[in-house]
Amino acid sequence: MEKVSSLIFITGGVRSGKSSFAERVAVDMAESCGGKLHYLATGVQSDDEMRKRIVKHQQDRAGGKHHWITVEQSVQIGKLGKYFTDRDIILLDCVTTLLNNELFISEREWDKSFLKKVTENIITGIMDIKSRAKKTIVVSNEVLNVPVDGNKLVFIYGKILGHIHQQLVKEADQAYLVEAGIPILMKGVKG
Amino acid sequence: MHFVTGGAFNGKRAWVKKSYLVQDYDGWISAYDHRPLPEKLEDDQDLLILEGIEKWLKGLSVEYEAKQCLEIWNSYLDLWTSWEKAKTDRKIVIIGTDITKGIVPMEAENRNWRDITGWAYQDLAKRSEQMDVIWYGLNQKIK
Repeated sequence: MEKVSSLIFITGGVRSGKSSFAERVAVDMAESCGGKLHYLATGVQSDDEMRKRIVKHQQDRAGGKHHWITVEQSVQIGKLGKYFTDRDIILLDCVTTLLNNELFISEREWDKSFLKKVTENIITGIMDIKSRAKKTIVVSNEVLNVPVDGNKLVFIYGKILGHIHQQLVKEADQAYLVEAGIPILMKGVKG
Repeated sequence: MHFVTGGAFNGKRAWVKKSYLVQDYDGWISAYDHRPLPEKLEDDQDLLILEGIEKWLKGLSVEYEAKQCLEIWNSYLDLWTSWEKAKTDRKIVIIGTDITKGIVPMEAENRNWRDITGWAYQDLAKRSEQMDVIWYGLNQKIK
């Protein structure tokens, strides 16, 4: 019996197939247990390239036989929590975009209280959605296997992202690292 | 020797603290505290933890050619291995951040540093009895 309100964390490199895998997990879940599929879109259509990426992801989802409800929220995703119930399957793709939005949209100075707020918005936002929905699948990027000490912004960004990822893995029922399309189960048992 | 690696901010330090039951430990030597690579090892401790070796390797890479860096690095590995062998139950834990998976750095010195770090980690892994990769707090024992 599937546990109610579970969290799955999925990460991988650029073009590793992490989004496709995450969608498959969501669709499998919908097929086996029912539930409405929701895509939580975090991307801001800032330029033409981003628009094209968003359209491609939309077409990929529209191509399947399942109906996805797209919900757009670029910051403070916790606000969405109250709209979801234990019938809903939520796919959030991805945490790094969300972090970029939180950090850069407001053009605020990166002081301690702001960074704390940003981190909280993301972690408690996801946990809030998770506690209400049937299943929450969160996708992120592997970007921390590089030097981070050369630039202060990179250092702070890396520190926050690492902290968020560690928290999500801790809370997750399952955690996957996707390498070249192949998901490696890092935590939990296969559902 | 026990080599612990993984990306930045992945929880390597916390994992080592938890695994070796140490908190504020005298035998913890960190490059992040601007301490030099230890030339001589103390005899009154059985557990030494060296943290931030990528930073020490950067220091070497600025001063020496790649080949020389690796020679110096291996002489440290010799030193550490013989310190471990001099007494039973001695152990050195070495923590190094993986900095090798980004795009090719623009600056020659950073390319050089990255290459040297990759090679040095291979040498270290070869000579370690145990190696763990830490991924957001979880360890994967790969040797």
